[in-house]
Amino acid sequence: MKTYLAPLLWCVALLSVPQAQAALQVVTTTQDLAAITKAVGGKHVEVQSLTPGTRDPHFAQAKPSMIRKIYNADLLLLIGADMEVGWLPALLKSSRNRQVLPGNPGYLDLSTAMTLLGKPAGPVTRDMGDVHAQGNPHYWLDPDNGRLMAQAITERLVTLDPDHSDAYRRNLTAFEQRLADKMHEWQTKLAPLKGAKVIAYHTSLIYLAKAFGFEIVGEVEPKPGIAPSAAHLNRLIKRIKDDQIKLLIMEPYYEQRSARFLQDKTGIRIGIVPQSVGAQPGINDYIQLFDGIVSALKETQAL
Amino acid sequence: MQQRKRLLAAAASLFFINSNITLAADRDSAKQLSMSNLPIEIGLSGLFSAGGSSADNDELAGLQAGGHDPNRNGFTMQNVELSLSSTVDNYFDAQANLIYLIDTEGETVVELEEAFLTTRGLPGGLQVKAGQFFTEFGRQNKQHPHTWAFVDQPVILSRLFGGDGLRSQGLRLAWLMPMAWYSELYVGAQNANGETVTSFLYAPGEEVGGHQLQDRSADKGSDLLYSARWLNGVDLSDTTSINIGFSGLMGPNSSGMNTDTVIYGADLYLKWQAAQSQRGFPFVAWHTEILKRDYDAGDASDPAHESLRDSGGFSQLLWGFKPGWIAGLRYDYASADGDAAADPLRDNRKRISPNVTWYPSEYSKLRLQYNHDKTEHLSDNTNHSLWLQVEFSIGSHAAHTF
Repeated sequence: MKTYLAPLLWCVALLSVPQAQAALQVVTTTQDLAAITKAVGGKHVEVQSLTPGTRDPHFAQAKPSMIRKIYNADLLLLIGADMEVGWLPALLKSSRNRQVLPGNPGYLDLSTAMTLLGKPAGPVTRDMGDVHAQGNPHYWLDPDNGRLMAQAITERLVTLDPDHSDAYRRNLTAFEQRLADKMHEWQTKLAPLKGAKVIAYHTSLIYLAKAFGFEIVGEVEPKPGIAPSAAHLNRLIKRIKDDQIKLLIMEPYYEQRSARFLQDKTGIRIGIVPQSVGAQPGINDYIQLFDGIVSALKETQAL
Repeated sequence: MQQRKRLLAAAASLFFINSNITLAADRDSAKQLSMSNLPIEIGLSGLFSAGGSSADNDELAGLQAGGHDPNRNGFTMQNVELSLSSTVDNYFDAQANLIYLIDTEGETVVELEEAFLTTRGLPGGLQVKAGQFFTEFGRQNKQHPHTWAFVDQPVILSRLFGGDGLRSQGLRLAWLMPMAWYSELYVGAQNANGETVTSFLYAPGEEVGGHQLQDRSADKGSDLLYSARWLNGVDLSDTTSINIGFSGLMGPNSSGMNTDTVIYGADLYLKWQAAQSQRGFPFVAWHTEILKRDYDAGDASDPAHESLRDSGGFSQLLWGFKPGWIAGLRYDYASADGDAAADPLRDNRKRISPNVTWYPSEYSKLRLQYNHDKTEHLSDNTNHSLWLQVEFSIGSHAAHTF
């Protein structure tokens, strides 16, 4: 055994990556968190997202490469409210990095900085589908929550890297200003949507609705995460006709057959909205995310 | 089977769990923990199957040699698993998996499948696991029956590791190596005797390749089972990742007083997941393992002394073609040298198993599988079996490993 061990250790030594890391290493569960962290962290942080914006973070697959990333991290940012419950806990157990375990400064669950919507009033059972007991975790789709996220991330960066606290706070101010300016532009563009009744595919767009003043009156899914049945679609058709609902919005990764069926039967417009940074080409930061959402909604011409 | 505790133990372990929960609550009586925020994760999964085969029940025992395989014409209660896990304190995490099943005699069987603690914060990327646990060997061996992609375990694993997978009491050190990609080295030492360490000091009175197994003591360090595994994981692109592992085992066997078994293997797991995926679909996953065993049969002084070689492997392809739906195809083969045609655990065997699985949600599944078996040891060389499996899972949301 020993004769094999020595060459193996040599290989390891040769392949080792130099660990000279000046910038704070931040790992996020989603690209939205990564984008906001980049905005406030600037050149003093190095950010990696564990999942791409093209996928639903609730159903990410734990991969060994994620262990490596978490092991090297100074700070782990997550959406929380059970968004990552299917894959993150096992990774954290394997990652051997005390700094980023819950309760340590290197662990920040951004849902704790939010007021979550859609918190179930009564007891939650799995018969209700994918209902999150702590509330709806898709909160980053309200730009005002993006501001709260940026503030919470900034405070944490300042705690972990006080030397650059001025830079972080300056970046935060600039980000908040830019967000406020853009919010005005987005609100103006989406003004016709105020008060409109809209159908969504999943219960994931309620924060967007709140931010821009429209109302989600039904979902293509009968219950969160449950595939639509013919009976449910027929009920929706009646609802769309009775209430003259003009717009159906959904994320790019959901099947589009059910929505097309509703469109054929009722003429409802379909808006495929990017739900995350990285969901579509050209959406590389948090501002571009809402630019993308706004232009997708305008393109439906349902307004 | 003889070593498993029976009904009384079932009642005892349930009591044990209940009293444990009470104790945990007592300790923090000031806070009066309610069931909903107990800092312990509890999950229960049940796995049942129904089916039939062209082989009769006695022949099925040899064909479906996995302890949690559907193994009888009619209904099989494959596995009911109670999982408990929690952080112990600042230093350790702990987990226990208790298995309940009903055997072919209708008796309830309880197994302490795993019970171990792992360290939380050793420096240098190290982690120690201690207790009763599955040996790090290949990818499939560590998987619990309810996470299998097929209703039964691969033929070669039943042969080399017995019905319940290779697991025992011991220690394991894991080292996350400082490479640019994920690379982890596992080394372990575990007891080499018992029903779950087939191929080593099990089981006195039985035979391997015609060699009578003896009651061999295990007192020295060299009488332990040693294991090593090197696992690598690389993301080839945004949509494709690959895991490659190499594993080896060395330990004594009971065909003689100075006889050893060496088992080595390689495993490959390749997964593609669409850039835009709904609930993780569509995906394609390819999992292949090959294993070889060198078994010293009989001491050098024994005139019948020989070295037995067994080999085998499996390759399985899964295609998640729409949310909740997976089509699978597995090819199994196993063979051994010498005159092994009549031995159900050493004959030449090939098996092809197509299946389809539907997950109504992450917490339930229905699976239909057909096995086409070519065996030497049965007079009917070709066997056909059809199994329908159903699973439920309640309790805490079990995190999936890769």
